[in-house]
Amino acid sequence: MEMKRSSEEGQEGLGPELEGLLAKAPPSKAPAWFAAKTLARLRQEKQEDQKTVSAWMKWRWVWAAGTAAVVAGWVLWNRPDPSVEISDAMVFAALDALVEQEEENRWWAGL
Amino acid sequence: MPKEMSDGELMVRVASGDEEAFRQLIERHQDRVYGTVARMMGGAGPEAEEVAQDVFLRVWRSAGQYRGDSKFTTWLMIVVRNLVFTRLGQRLRRKDIDGEDPVDPETGESLMENQSAQPGRGPAEALAYRELEKAVAEACAELPENQRLVVHLRQYEGMDLEEIVKITGMSLTAVKALMFRARESLKKKLSGYLTASK
Repeated sequence: MEMKRSSEEGQEGLGPELEGLLAKAPPSKAPAWFAAKTLARLRQEKQEDQKTVSAWMKWRWVWAAGTAAVVAGWVLWNRPDPSVEISDAMVFAALDALVEQEEENRWWAGL
Repeated sequence: MPKEMSDGELMVRVASGDEEAFRQLIERHQDRVYGTVARMMGGAGPEAEEVAQDVFLRVWRSAGQYRGDSKFTTWLMIVVRNLVFTRLGQRLRRKDIDGEDPVDPETGESLMENQSAQPGRGPAEALAYRELEKAVAEACAELPENQRLVVHLRQYEGMDLEEIVKITGMSLTAVKALMFRARESLKKKLSGYLTASK
């Protein structure tokens, strides 16, 4: 690693004395196998990613069927209950009762 | 492929999945990345190697995001900074900072001594050199993370303050203040060597 910077600045840098001392202890260099090992790791990670994708693809019908079952279950669960359905006859009967009640009230009131 | 492509050209190829371009990029910058990571982590060794590999794998994945607005080395050092600070934070949480040189699990030898640059020297000179190297490494390791990074980028990467500002995400004044504090701290810690080297 090159140490190309000039040492003239005492305020912004470390100063010539410290710079000289630190220059005697340069940072470690990468081991010789570094690039090969990094590329091997890259290939391994790519392979693992590939495996994950193919696993998803392999089981896609299972996932699709599972999702469909969950959606169908949810729809069935939330569908309106037919037992609480109110027929037209019941509505008319209730209206008749209301009218009858109203007429009775008016008779008692002498209207 | 031509021999000397610029970093920007290599990154365009890396973004399209070219492993050969990626290999060239690694070989060009591996010492810079590994050296910075090792200095920031307190020494060379398997952990530093793993983090340095993480840096390049991040470069591979993020190559498409590199627009070439700033120098490649500045962009690369931002990646280094992010990953190193994350790792140091995890390490701090695990409380496994022991301050010792990393040791090869098989041979028991110090990895810092094995991997540092040591040109041919006599035994006495090599010993003194090793001692000085250790003292400098320890003095740097004792600096707070931000000061350590600023000193390394300035001293060993030869970066100007504007680049350091971009990498650290701090203001120019803050970077100068960090540099000042680091200088005072290093002067104290290495005072014995400073007078000896005069």
